[in-house]
Amino acid sequence: MSEMIRLSIFRFDPERDDKPFMQSYEVPVTKRGMKLLDALNYIKWELDGTLTYRRSCGEGVCGSDGLNINGVNGLACITPVTGLKQPVHVRPLPGMHVIRDLVVDMDHFFDQYRQIQPWMQTDTPTPEHERLQSPEERALLDGQYECILCACCTTSCPSWWWNGDRFLGPAVLLQANRWIVDSRDEATGRRLDQLEDAFRLYRCHQIMNCMEACPKELNPTAAIDSIKRKLLARKS
Amino acid sequence: MKLTKEPGSARSGIGDWYWQRLSAVVLAVLLPLPFLLIVAVYSGSVDQLGLLDLLDHFFSRLLHTLLILALIVHAYMGLKVIFEDYVPVIGWRVTLIGGMLVVMSGFGIWWLAIIWAWGG
Ligand code: SF4
Ligand code: SF4
Ligand code: FES
Repeated sequence: MSEMIRLSIFRFDPERDDKPFMQSYEVPVTKRGMKLLDALNYIKWELDGTLTYRRSCGEGVCGSDGLNINGVNGLACITPVTGLKQPVHVRPLPGMHVIRDLVVDMDHFFDQYRQIQPWMQTDTPTPEHERLQSPEERALLDGQYECILCACCTTSCPSWWWNGDRFLGPAVLLQANRWIVDSRDEATGRRLDQLEDAFRLYRCHQIMNCMEACPKELNPTAAIDSIKRKLLARKS
Repeated sequence: MKLTKEPGSARSGIGDWYWQRLSAVVLAVLLPLPFLLIVAVYSGSVDQLGLLDLLDHFFSRLLHTLLILALIVHAYMGLKVIFEDYVPVIGWRVTLIGGMLVVMSGFGIWWLAIIWAWGG
């Protein structure tokens, strides 16, 4: 008999259940390097088709399967099952409204993303070919552009839990910084204006949960700090 | 979570952040001084008259004033952030922060009056 993994998974169907509950499953280890997403797929395809979760790429690129795994946020598709303490507790991202089982409502998160206007803004005429960037200028985007908007960081941030209606949260602030440091973007001033706010930006108390949570090993705390330093520099 | 209409920025926050850090630096420099004084008194290197002389000196009154101001600013900023974090009802938030401001200013004025011996 193959090795089995025990899981305890958050279940909630608002149309049927009064309260959420944890349901236990046992799943065989089907392959070497098996990931948590493989275990969820096994449950859905072989054991219980009602289990609901999001996933797409299966390789840490799309950002759709951010989950709370044994109390830590991460992507199911790149989290190896071996090494996880059993039973593996799988819950939806914290602080979010649950639509069903592991699926949460991401509308507000993406609405906040929209608020920082995540596209290149320029005032100068478009050059004939392209807006050039030196290798050094391009290097400033490293550690910023890789974000896949999985929300693992933002939903692990206590400040966002308490004041998420106004605080933009680490993921969105990292993206705000991504456009601020982009040499081709010409809206830096307007962007900083939009962030200079006790709630939108300064709710970050450097708790650094976000950095711990990021499956892409990005550092939103540093990005937030860099925005704060830019605001300070333009004031003093 | 309810979608909110984009509220824009209140253009605030940088002042709070700046003052909290500035007062922290002042505290880091000045706060050890009273403790050094206590140690000096207990070790017997400063007697009562010497202590009074030290505290009476214009320069120490100035430092004392700075210390008290930094302490109040720092405590105010810290508590304000906590109220903003954990008191979600705006009415309560504003009342608590306002009340705190009154109490702390009162305390500060009282202490300054002692330092500079106003009216005495
Ligand atoms: S460092 Fe800031 S953004 Fe990151 S978890 Fe802490 S408070 Fe939230
Ligand atoms: S910064 Fe990291 S954890 Fe946060 S949304 Fe981007 S990829 Fe996910
Ligand atoms: S399924 Fe795409 S990131 Fe996990």
